[in-house]
Amino acid sequence: MPERELARTAEPRKVSKATEPLPRDILTPDDYRELLDQLYLARYFDVRLTKEKKRGRLRGTLYSSHNQEAILVGSLYALRSTDWISPIHRDMPAFFLKDIKNGWDSKDRLGMSIEEVCSQVWGRVDSPGRARDNWSHIGSKKKRIIHSTSMLAGTIPVAAGVVYADRLDGGDNVVVTYNGEGSTAQGAFHEGVNFAAVHKLPVVTVIENNQWAFGTPAHLGCPTEDVADRAKGYGIPGLVADGQDVLDVFDKVSEAVEYARSGKGPSIVECKTFRSYGHGDHDDDRAVKYRPQDEVEVGRSRDPIAEMKKVMIAEGLLTQKEADKHPAEYKGAGEVTDHDFPERVVEFLSRGVDFALKSPLPDASEARRWVFKEEDQ
Amino acid sequence: MSTAVERKTKNYLTGLKEAMYEEMESNPDLICMGEDIGLLGGAFGVTDGMQAKYGAERVIDMPISESAIVGAACGMALNGKTVMAEMQFIDFISCGFDQIVNMVATYCYRTAGEVPIPMVIRGPAGGYGGGALYHSQMNEAWFCNSPGLKVVCPSTPSDAKGLLKAALRDPNPVVFYEIKELYRKRSIEEELLDGDDALIPLGKARVGREGTDLTLVSYGNPYHLSLSAAKKLEEFGFSAEVIDLRTLVPLDEETITESLSRTNRLLVVNEAPMTCGFAGEVLARLSQAAFEHLDAPPARVTRTDTPVPWATPLESDVLPSVDDIVEAALKLCRY
Ligand SMILES: Cc1ncc(C[n+]2csc(CCOP(=O)(O)OP(=O)(O)O)c2C)c(N)n1
Ligand SMILES: [Mg+2]
Repeated sequence: MPERELARTAEPRKVSKATEPLPRDILTPDDYRELLDQLYLARYFDVRLTKEKKRGRLRGTLYSSHNQEAILVGSLYALRSTDWISPIHRDMPAFFLKDIKNGWDSKDRLGMSIEEVCSQVWGRVDSPGRARDNWSHIGSKKKRIIHSTSMLAGTIPVAAGVVYADRLDGGDNVVVTYNGEGSTAQGAFHEGVNFAAVHKLPVVTVIENNQWAFGTPAHLGCPTEDVADRAKGYGIPGLVADGQDVLDVFDKVSEAVEYARSGKGPSIVECKTFRSYGHGDHDDDRAVKYRPQDEVEVGRSRDPIAEMKKVMIAEGLLTQKEADKHPAEYKGAGEVTDHDFPERVVEFLSRGVDFALKSPLPDASEARRWVFKEEDQ
Repeated sequence: MSTAVERKTKNYLTGLKEAMYEEMESNPDLICMGEDIGLLGGAFGVTDGMQAKYGAERVIDMPISESAIVGAACGMALNGKTVMAEMQFIDFISCGFDQIVNMVATYCYRTAGEVPIPMVIRGPAGGYGGGALYHSQMNEAWFCNSPGLKVVCPSTPSDAKGLLKAALRDPNPVVFYEIKELYRKRSIEEELLDGDDALIPLGKARVGREGTDLTLVSYGNPYHLSLSAAKKLEEFGFSAEVIDLRTLVPLDEETITESLSRTNRLLVVNEAPMTCGFAGEVLARLSQAAFEHLDAPPARVTRTDTPVPWATPLESDVLPSVDDIVEAALKLCRY
């Protein structure tokens, strides 16, 4: 077996604002505050569901996105409403974070409501897919979210087709597909990215390199240090972002999105991060054994919420006192309480949970429907 | 399309080609994708000249990537297009298998009907031409066993045209088996109808020959073998009805049951391997649905449970022949 060093997450990126214009330059102080709140929201979703799962209130597997939130928040912030996304198992928050910058409660934003997402998590009939497949396997044509299957990397060719059709119709929408680093070894990854590159399709493939694919370390799935190097073979840009830094993710994904939208073609944006817990909640106990403790400590040492607070304090957008008011960072589901989060965040998600709990289970009579399109649809 | 020198009767390949051209003309949202289908016009010419007429954006020369062909077709279909995805040979469909059975076939189901996928995956299939292991397959059972796909196999030029047109208008994904040995077969040429008149609805079998003593059920190459067998059976004093299924999913049980109510004997002929092949499905369903009508144990003639070998004596040995059908039919009739 190839020798392995401990996994390395990204080094903090040093930005000298004076010399280098960056996509983030367009962000206002309100955007910074919004980004921080969204990081809290993604984190709260994760810890709240972890607690609900431990209480036995949920079926299925929870793939925690703890410590990886900056990737979803930063990348989705770089999109416009009509862009498409295709999230994968670890990206549950993406469904409600999409287009959330246009108002958390806005009825016409092109992302899912928290009520819809919670209904899905609880397997209720108000889920967008009427709870026919589990967890992250939902989507919405109207909201421009491609429905995934369990087959890793399988949505990349589909995403390419979606924007091909969009371009034929004169659109210039971009699709962002999310995949773990392990999934980049799949044939569908190659076929999808290759096709997108040949046709210069606006497909941005975000790789969430959390150093592990279930029980397999990244170097046993990808021969290069940077997964982004796979881009070289397709003649497309391969960017590496610090996945703990929401602003760096925003910058890199914005760059890729701009590149895609202007007709130059696809890119790969690798976001270096670290999986906090087990692969899924079923794997938490075993992950403690197969992953070296020092690696886990380093991997979790740059919580994305803390990183964002640091930036905001340095830029005078947040006082230390304000930063300390909601100390959710570095806490696992077992240690954290609702008081560690802004009220807005707790209130938002609680509304979704309450809604889901009241939503009925689908009736058994639905089980055999919609194998084929029905007449009345 | 017609010229003075052209024969009035047309072959199976022309049926397919006319279907594609007519649907491309009437449906501006129809996209074609496949390997070598544009510049070259397709390995067998089904899309010959189409790229020149409709442009490279609608008739896409795809990389050798069956997953990407099916997957991207799925993405286009979910975003408002209808897609014809060609497999250069149906044998290669295995390389796009996951996208077909897990992505495409399930889309309508898992979205509670929100996203049906209008696409046709079509390609040349079947043996009897020395294509050997990877250019002779009839792997339709894989897809019949994957809920959410319609499965179609025409046996005549007019069905090739009419069923392909219907498949391209169906809101659901259709896997479409073309029989390459029939592509240019002179003896089955027919006059073809145009436009909507040419449409053949999916899910309806056809009685290709009427008879009174037994019913032969088949599609594709074995349909024509069955017709020949029926002629031979006349010499033995037996009258065989021959049904061409045309569509496997959904299966037209009614037409078979009706036939069995008159003939009381069932023989299914199929060129796929026996075990878990579609012949077994027809036997099981009809044994139950038409049990009261049956005077003899229903039987099947299929390929042996082997791959399709190359050398002529080997290929002939594993695939069903007219003699195999006659022999099995006689057994049934004399039961
Ligand atoms: C085609 C396929 N093979 C195997 C699996 C089982 N599986 C689910 S997630 C996973 C690991 C994925 O790792 P990675 O892509 O790095 O994403 P991560 O879970 O780390 O976010 C595996 C092997 C699967 N879902 N699909
Ligand atoms: Mg991973």
